Amino acid sequence: MLLSAESGKPGSGKGPHMSVLRDIATIARWETKKSFSLLSRDVLPIAIVLFVLLVLVTGFAAQSGLHLQDGMYRLGTDDRNVAALFSSDSRFTVFLSDADSLSPDNGKYDVVIVRGGAAAAPTEKGRAALQTLGRDYAKYKRSVYTNADDLFAAYPLWIDTQSVTSELNFSSPQNGQFVPAPPSRGTPVPQGPVEQIATPSPTLGVTPDEIRAELVTSSQENSQVSRYTDVLSSRQSALGSFKIPDELSPPLPFDSIILVFIFIFPLYFTSQFFMMSIMNERIERRGEALLSVPVKTPVIIVGKMLPYVLGMLAICAGLTLYIRAPPVILLPLLPVILFFLANALVIGMISRSFKELSFISIFFSTVATSYLFFPSIFANVHVISLISPLTLIVLSLQGTAWTAADYCYATVLFWLTAVVLFYLAASNFNEERLFSEKPLLPRCREFLAGAVSRAHPYASLFVIAVATIPFVFMAQMMGLVVFFNLPMPLSLVLLIVFAAFVEEMAKMAGIYTLFVADPAFFTTKKLVYACAATALGFLIGEKLLLFATLAEITESVFGNVLFLSLGVIWLPFLLHFACLLVAAFALKRWGRAGAVAGIIAAGLIHCSYNLYFLQGWIR
Amino acid sequence: MSEKTILLAIVLQLFIALFSSFLMVGLTSMYDPNSLAGYSHFRYDIGYAGNASPFLEDLGNSNAFRVHRVDLSTGVELLRERRLFAVVWVPDTAPDATDPVKITLYSLKSDIMGAVVNTKLKDVFLKYEDELRQARIVRITEQPVPVAVPPQAGSAGYYEFVYGLLIPLLVFLPGILSAALVIDLITEEYQHETLETLVSTPVTVAEVVWGKVLVCTILVPVQAGAWLLLLSLNRIPVRDPALILLHVTVASLLLILLAALVALHYRERTAAQFVFSTALVVIMLFVLAIPDNPLNIIARLAVGTAGTTAWIALAAAGVAALLLGWYLQRYAQNAQRKLHTG
Repeated sequence: MLLSAESGKPGSGKGPHMSVLRDIATIARWETKKSFSLLSRDVLPIAIVLFVLLVLVTGFAAQSGLHLQDGMYRLGTDDRNVAALFSSDSRFTVFLSDADSLSPDNGKYDVVIVRGGAAAAPTEKGRAALQTLGRDYAKYKRSVYTNADDLFAAYPLWIDTQSVTSELNFSSPQNGQFVPAPPSRGTPVPQGPVEQIATPSPTLGVTPDEIRAELVTSSQENSQVSRYTDVLSSRQSALGSFKIPDELSPPLPFDSIILVFIFIFPLYFTSQFFMMSIMNERIERRGEALLSVPVKTPVIIVGKMLPYVLGMLAICAGLTLYIRAPPVILLPLLPVILFFLANALVIGMISRSFKELSFISIFFSTVATSYLFFPSIFANVHVISLISPLTLIVLSLQGTAWTAADYCYATVLFWLTAVVLFYLAASNFNEERLFSEKPLLPRCREFLAGAVSRAHPYASLFVIAVATIPFVFMAQMMGLVVFFNLPMPLSLVLLIVFAAFVEEMAKMAGIYTLFVADPAFFTTKKLVYACAATALGFLIGEKLLLFATLAEITESVFGNVLFLSLGVIWLPFLLHFACLLVAAFALKRWGRAGAVAGIIAAGLIHCSYNLYFLQGWIR
Repeated sequence: MSEKTILLAIVLQLFIALFSSFLMVGLTSMYDPNSLAGYSHFRYDIGYAGNASPFLEDLGNSNAFRVHRVDLSTGVELLRERRLFAVVWVPDTAPDATDPVKITLYSLKSDIMGAVVNTKLKDVFLKYEDELRQARIVRITEQPVPVAVPPQAGSAGYYEFVYGLLIPLLVFLPGILSAALVIDLITEEYQHETLETLVSTPVTVAEVVWGKVLVCTILVPVQAGAWLLLLSLNRIPVRDPALILLHVTVASLLLILLAALVALHYRERTAAQFVFSTALVVIMLFVLAIPDNPLNIIARLAVGTAGTTAWIALAAAGVAALLLGWYLQRYAQNAQRKLHTG
């Protein structure tokens, strides 16, 4: 099926480097052919038909409108003009009646307009109807006034919106407060230097005809949609920052979610195809032909992955061109693409069936999307937003520059985790793992065991400990984003507890794997050595990664919690070692159940250590 | 699926629930930004720079703000230090002059609290705009039909979003998931080649298919009912839940039957899922553009304004389901014949 004469045999090129590249290219070509062959014959004609239908239906829907909320409210009125006015909004069913029978309280109507006055029924629905009514009326008034001869009599008030940037960091006293302390009676006095602002000119500087044209276009566009397209486009309206009061719509930080929809969702769908391709190799041992090809495993993996990387980059580049954004936004997207593909590879190799695959991938994509999206809400507001590469994209779209250091902080965890996952996948890409099915946790343990070398157990434990550091950091960053905006003692305590348990679980991963694979290996002396090796690895990995992490986070109190950067280096080592000993001996004495209890105990020790050293902040 | 994967499901739902109130604020504010204004009853400090005008009185009369007369540069610096929430600069244009009155508003970029303050300021601006229009009324030739809409304390943007958008989509989600599930279930039989073994017993292909369809259909009212129950526990009452569940089940049955047909035709998971998902998008867009479509009926049932059209739509959907079901039976019998010969 896969080997055909024209594609040439891999592994037989001239020179080592050329042949590796040729092999990768060959496997990439096979992969592309396979994916497209799935879509040929039956599917392609139907796909074309469906696409044509989609275009037709979109046109139909645009013309007929979306009838999702038709007939929700009942409006009663005595005036024919008013009835004509509101019957254009399909949410209202309009009833004409005489004034005496129209009462908001009799339950027949949600809102009534009698003799020019509107009144709502005393229910939640009535209030919602009244609000919609108010908005429809404001739109109608606008359409009348826009056609007035004297435009400045109809629109006498214009607002010039100016934004001022004020970025918070972890040392700001406003951190974690939703409502500031009640102010003193008098006018506040500035603490910092006062920069002179020029007095704004009292005139608009735009002709009435330009204003009229702009008012007409802006009243026609759907404000609910244009808020999001405005995030993407750098189009300035002819009026610049001038708005009538009705148009004042504050840009919300959540608006950056449009970036998630545009860039991240396509990545997610493409990585799904990669996942399914891996899964398809495992069903019925179909991948055996691929495994028997005389090339190294990393070559196979890179080759299979290459079409998807190129595809995803092409999609992102296309989208960037479409929204006319600076091409530099592709740089933060690259580590995200690799991260998604690395996880797709591992998930494809772990799952037992397509159902389990869908399930785990939904879980993964929810967590990954949250990790990408939540920090970006705080772009321009708090330095923590730099955790997510999406923030760099938001900044680029707004025209704010970011440095290589910012890029490093935002993406280093994505690069590292992708590399570790690829290594894990490559060392397990063999017949035994691919063509067997195991439940989730034993399968994960097997994967780790595949990366451990029996000949050098301590060295392996050391390396595993170092390799888990990026994952631990990612989890802790997520915890930081979730907790940091809570009021002070609570956020610190929650972060301490969360960080401690995440670390203990990560540390035990290596020892647990070895123990289950070979319980007899761990005599007391060997267990102590194993704990020492793991603790050392964990500590060194932590310190190394610290260089690449935001100085602003590490120097803050949260940094002290997460990175134990409390000066002396043997103290944290002793902590890691002691916690590991507790957990490991519990594992040895009582087996797997003991491991759980041991991890909890170790976590508690870790927490008390942190709490002891950070008492000053909590009081 | 072992219990560990179920654990993942529970963790995932907990994760979402943790963020649910955050998500709710976020989603509602995306749908209706003015809903943010209802969230606080605090007096905000704002700075007023420039010339005195009736706008100053309006701000002072509003009980959402505490006004401080400041010099513009001082005001902006205070804004940067977050001691003020907004600064306005007002020119000395007379209310009845021919020129427009241009007020400059300084606010913090991308700040959630700034967004709340802006929404409250909008109300005061609208009031001042009306006063100015009154001053210039001789020059306005066309007046709109007068309707006095009373101002509302608090916002009800939440209602339309929940009943008009969230609930219809939420109760249809189990239907879509079940349709995807039935494709997986049927194509699995073909890809793992277990279908031939099954068919050597007295079981027919049609019975296998109907069994899977039935299971997936039963899942729908169970899940949708759970969602409706959770919503009512969360103080979002839904009217006519039984009728809503009936509508949802019949509409989902249509989707599931279609999915089963696609699965039987392609016999392979990727192709079947791809074709069905694309077809689903086309169908949903088309259905949403027709008046009295099932989603609209569910929204109307939930708020209690459905009327007899609901029963007519239910009958139409039922007839369509019967027709599609008969076609599926024929197709499954055909597939059985093909299995024996091919």
